[in-house]
Amino acid sequence: MQRRQFLAKTGMGFTGLALSSMLSAQKPVNPKAKRVIWLFMIGGVSHMESFDPKPELNKYAGKLLGDTPHAGALESPLVKQNLRELIVGLHKAQPRLYPLQVGYQKRGQSGIEVSDWFPHVGGCVDDLAVVRSLWTTDNNHGAQMQFHTGRHVLEGQLPTIGSWVHYGLGSLNENLPQFVVLGEPIDTCCGGPGAHGAGYLGPQHGGVRIDVKPENPLAYAKPFMEPEEQRKQFELIRDFNRLAEIEYPDDRALKARIQSYELAFRMQTAVPEVMRFNTENEATRKLYGLDQEVTKPFGETLLAARRLAESGVRFIQVFHGNNGGAGKWDAHSNLKKTHGELCAQVDQPIAGLLKDLKQRGMLDDTIVVFATEFGRTPGAEGTNGRDHHPYGFSAWLAGGGIKGGTVHGATDEIGFHAVENRHYVTDLHATVLHQLGLDPRKLEVPGHKRIDLDFGEPIEEIIG
Amino acid sequence: MAYGQAPPALQLLETRGAGCHNAQNKQSGLDLTRRETAVRGGDRGPGIVPGKSKESLLYLAVAHLAKPNMPKFAAKLSDAEIATVASWIDQGAPWGETLVSKAAAVVPNHWAFVPPVRATPPRPGNPIDAFLSVAREQRKLAAMPSADRRTLLRRVYLDLLGVPPTVEDSESFLKDTSANAYEKLVDRLLADQRYGERWGRHWMDIWRYSDWYGYRNGNDVRNSHKFVWRWRDWIVESLNRDKPYDRMITEMLAGDEVAPGDPDTLRATGFLARNYSKYDRDGWMQDAVDHTTLAFLGVTVKCARCHDHKYDPISQDEYYKFRAFFEPYEVRVDRVQGKTDIDKDGLTRIYDAALDRPTYLLIRGNIQTPDKSNSLLPAVPAHLGPALGKIAPVSLPLSDYYPDHREFVAIDLLAEAKGAVTKAEAELEKQKEAYAKVEKELAEGTVKSGYAKMRGAADGLELATKALKAAQAAVPALEARIAADRAKYAEPADKRFEELAAIARTKEREAGILKGDENLLRAQVELTAALVPEKKDEKKITEAKKKLAAATAALEQPATGYTPVGKEYLTKSTGRRKALAEWITSRQNPLTARVAVNHIWLRHFGQALVPTVFDFGRNGKAPVQPELLDYLATELVRTGWSMKGLHRLILTSRAYQMRSTAGEAQHPNAKIDPENLYLWRMNPRRLEAEAVRDSTLAVAGQLDRTMGGPELDTAKGFESHRRSLYFSHSPDAQMEFLKVFDGPNPTECYQRDESVVPQQALAMANSELSRQMAETLAKRLEGPQFTQRAFLAILGRPPSAKEKALAESFLEKSTARNLVHALLNHNDFVTIR
Repeated sequence: MQRRQFLAKTGMGFTGLALSSMLSAQKPVNPKAKRVIWLFMIGGVSHMESFDPKPELNKYAGKLLGDTPHAGALESPLVKQNLRELIVGLHKAQPRLYPLQVGYQKRGQSGIEVSDWFPHVGGCVDDLAVVRSLWTTDNNHGAQMQFHTGRHVLEGQLPTIGSWVHYGLGSLNENLPQFVVLGEPIDTCCGGPGAHGAGYLGPQHGGVRIDVKPENPLAYAKPFMEPEEQRKQFELIRDFNRLAEIEYPDDRALKARIQSYELAFRMQTAVPEVMRFNTENEATRKLYGLDQEVTKPFGETLLAARRLAESGVRFIQVFHGNNGGAGKWDAHSNLKKTHGELCAQVDQPIAGLLKDLKQRGMLDDTIVVFATEFGRTPGAEGTNGRDHHPYGFSAWLAGGGIKGGTVHGATDEIGFHAVENRHYVTDLHATVLHQLGLDPRKLEVPGHKRIDLDFGEPIEEIIG
Repeated sequence: MAYGQAPPALQLLETRGAGCHNAQNKQSGLDLTRRETAVRGGDRGPGIVPGKSKESLLYLAVAHLAKPNMPKFAAKLSDAEIATVASWIDQGAPWGETLVSKAAAVVPNHWAFVPPVRATPPRPGNPIDAFLSVAREQRKLAAMPSADRRTLLRRVYLDLLGVPPTVEDSESFLKDTSANAYEKLVDRLLADQRYGERWGRHWMDIWRYSDWYGYRNGNDVRNSHKFVWRWRDWIVESLNRDKPYDRMITEMLAGDEVAPGDPDTLRATGFLARNYSKYDRDGWMQDAVDHTTLAFLGVTVKCARCHDHKYDPISQDEYYKFRAFFEPYEVRVDRVQGKTDIDKDGLTRIYDAALDRPTYLLIRGNIQTPDKSNSLLPAVPAHLGPALGKIAPVSLPLSDYYPDHREFVAIDLLAEAKGAVTKAEAELEKQKEAYAKVEKELAEGTVKSGYAKMRGAADGLELATKALKAAQAAVPALEARIAADRAKYAEPADKRFEELAAIARTKEREAGILKGDENLLRAQVELTAALVPEKKDEKKITEAKKKLAAATAALEQPATGYTPVGKEYLTKSTGRRKALAEWITSRQNPLTARVAVNHIWLRHFGQALVPTVFDFGRNGKAPVQPELLDYLATELVRTGWSMKGLHRLILTSRAYQMRSTAGEAQHPNAKIDPENLYLWRMNPRRLEAEAVRDSTLAVAGQLDRTMGGPELDTAKGFESHRRSLYFSHSPDAQMEFLKVFDGPNPTECYQRDESVVPQQALAMANSELSRQMAETLAKRLEGPQFTQRAFLAILGRPPSAKEKALAESFLEKSTARNLVHALLNHNDFVTIR
């Protein structure tokens, strides 16, 4: 802080580098990756119908869990150990087992099974490390924010993984925000902007939303004065604000505003440039499914994500499935139809992204994460749905030094509990940070105590 | 009957079953605490078949005759106990009428569901400071000194009016050296009409104001309603008049029941009209329930739509009983003076349209599965406050159930009809002239295809003649209908009614025939004009013929009725919403005053006393200063729910007037209380979106002070200089500039975000608004001491020596406009310090 004040007072801080990132940035230790593309499916993807096949569900389809050899799942101490509800019983374990709604194939050299709703991603399975043993504590959609902050929604809006990366790492491109949000974020029901916010790190570390609209990605991005004229003016604004900063050294919004002007100035030209897809050839467009109606929207989003990654954005958080509520993936009913449709929207674009990164040599230093807030119950909800399931679910990582073609961890035979190599969501954060060369335990702000659970542990087994 | 006196079988249910099967903890979806839910059963099907124990799952399960054997985690019931259950079911499973819900009964006393208790302030002086200073001293927090007068002035202006003080405002305040200069300032600003606009926008957030949306081009209103802006104007006016908050709630929920026939009050019901949904009555009702409870009670009940609320004592039954308050209401548009076409303007209001429309619980919230065995009557959740008062139907005055009987409607309609005659006369004159012209041209032989022209002119003339006749006949027809209406509703009854009705009928038909005649000719003329066969409009001509035939036929029938001037609605309202409003505004309601105080506090201090402003329930956060919250809540009620009184109390506190900075980043206070929970300093706040735009206009002297009226086109946000709250605001239409500064979500916004993002910098740097205002202001400020005056005008303070030096060296290489523009981009322009 003294350094910061000194810089502010002497005017030495402004070197084109965002002030606070200069002050908070660590020197990455042995980094394997430079950037992250974080894909988040809103509502809860069924692990059993995506990356964690459970043939036992077919075998005992329609049977009460208590009448099967797997009855122990309900009595497991893990139920209480994991769950954090104020009052029990809102979302139940759903006792009647529901068969798999989709088939599976062994895929790739590794032969990892991936469901038939993800044929394209399945084709890339040799690049993926599938983690089948995640757990979280909230069995309601507050878990969406929790997945990003590592804390239960009751504990408030804390810094998210993206904001820690932003806080911890210097910038790769001074012309673009380093933490960008694409797609419609999670709804206010479930944490809203808290899932890409920065909590006590301050708003300057929060995600900046950009529209995937090549013609107008950002409002008011056209200056009405000449560049040189505007440059002088922005310097004056900066100087005024830095004088104010001396007077109000405890105003965090003011610091954020200084930075926001620095960034805004450069974004005026940089962002529209990134969103202009005209340099992309036909093959690339097809790769992302831009030629098909179903895949086009998410395909464009992921193409934009790649272009942002290419241009030096550190953390690109991509949301899929906002429906103004808990999320489109929240398949309490009609799972087969809705999951089938949603997978069709994302499968090819995601595979396209992986292949595209690979062919550009970017997969080596870009981590791609595919995640969701929790899994779904092995038992049926109603006649054709699955309820929320925090006890065991899947995510996968690829690139950035992650060991492809691996499966790590396991749920029990019906997909109920994560039983082998269990990982709380922050272990994913720790893995990502580790690959970026950051030590989460060094990411701390005075006055804000972090607990062990916040830091997590890198998942060594999937690190190449 | 409580469980204690219940039949032995019920006691068994309580002790051996309800632990796992109650409204809060519904294992297998089963709730054994009430007969209806026990009978309905859960995931495994019906629980009890009254009269038939052998078919009842409850019996089979406890007798271990069917899986699952119950109780699951305890010993089997004794044979005698099982027999008790069987015989009780065989007797029809009798249940006590007043059996208390076990689930609700076990809910502990949550702070927010217990009425506030007024503590005596621990010290003399402003009670806010009394509570806060004790809390600070306990924590060894040093309070910051007061802000300087300029900072304070700007703070109060922005806070109360949403615009900064003008240079003259500042000068007159600084000149006032009297001891109570600040108090006078507060009073003056609270009396300023702009207060209602500024705080009106705050309450519009909480009350979820939205203009209508749907298909604007197709004029298809799908959500909210046309002319709901009258409700916005009611909000602004009510705040300016310091209408008591309880009265405001009452008028919004039941203006049609407490002041029927009073158009000014009826505007308030826009609060409920706003929930209108053309294609989704169920969603409409849900919104009415959810947002009434959120806005006034600060509780989120919507979980209870599908299942009993898991955090708060609101059962699914109670959710739907709450819905029953709203079940009868619908939205209509009444005529307003001077406007006859209710598509173009009118008073949007609610009314009870169906007094007996049933309310059913939707099983699992599914609209496909209403529980039609039981129609629910309105009731309030038992644990959220006092008992509900009596629901008494309200008799409505004639002006309310037959609004077109009001004097001005007849006057306006007659004026319109007479205006139509004048227009028709003018048209006839025009056609006569046209005819004469063609006649002349024909005579002179100066035109070709003379026959066609002649025929066209003749048709036009005939049509205008017929149109005039029809318009002329419409006037006496309308007069006769009005006269008949007057007689019909006269008190005491007018004996001439039958006679007048017959006259009205005759005249109406005469006019109808003439109109039909006109329409027929018009169709024929149009047909003739369309020489190309495929343009023929056979439909129109058939239509016109039909109308003519119908009118002719009708004339020959005996006269038995006429078309009344307007629509008649029900003469009674259920009184349900009035009872609801009385309950919400009851002094015993533990939530209402606290929730309001919390919202007001939030908007003065930038942080709420209860951080979860929309959730005072058990899932929310407890207040940091419960005594202060309760003191203010009781004070609000004690002062007759005066918001201005509460503002005054807050604004004159030391806490409010404190400096917003400790002057150093590592002040000892910041270690003890980094979140400033105990308000040892003021919180600097970013201006809300509307205040950013309004202030930009205001400092340039360009803010248009016109108040009220229909919503303005968002595309004109930079052209029009009206205040931001008057622009269209709906999910389909929000001004981009406002969105960038975290403008409110029209669907739900109980607290604004305060982000700092580069997009805001871009909006201030590059928008047409800031360019124009910078140019205008730079021109206005031309002259000596430019820098000094620019700082005063924009930031409300003179520049420091360093700032002055910076500005002046900038002026050497750039323009005055650019300096002004830079100051508009100063962080402190968008900040309340």
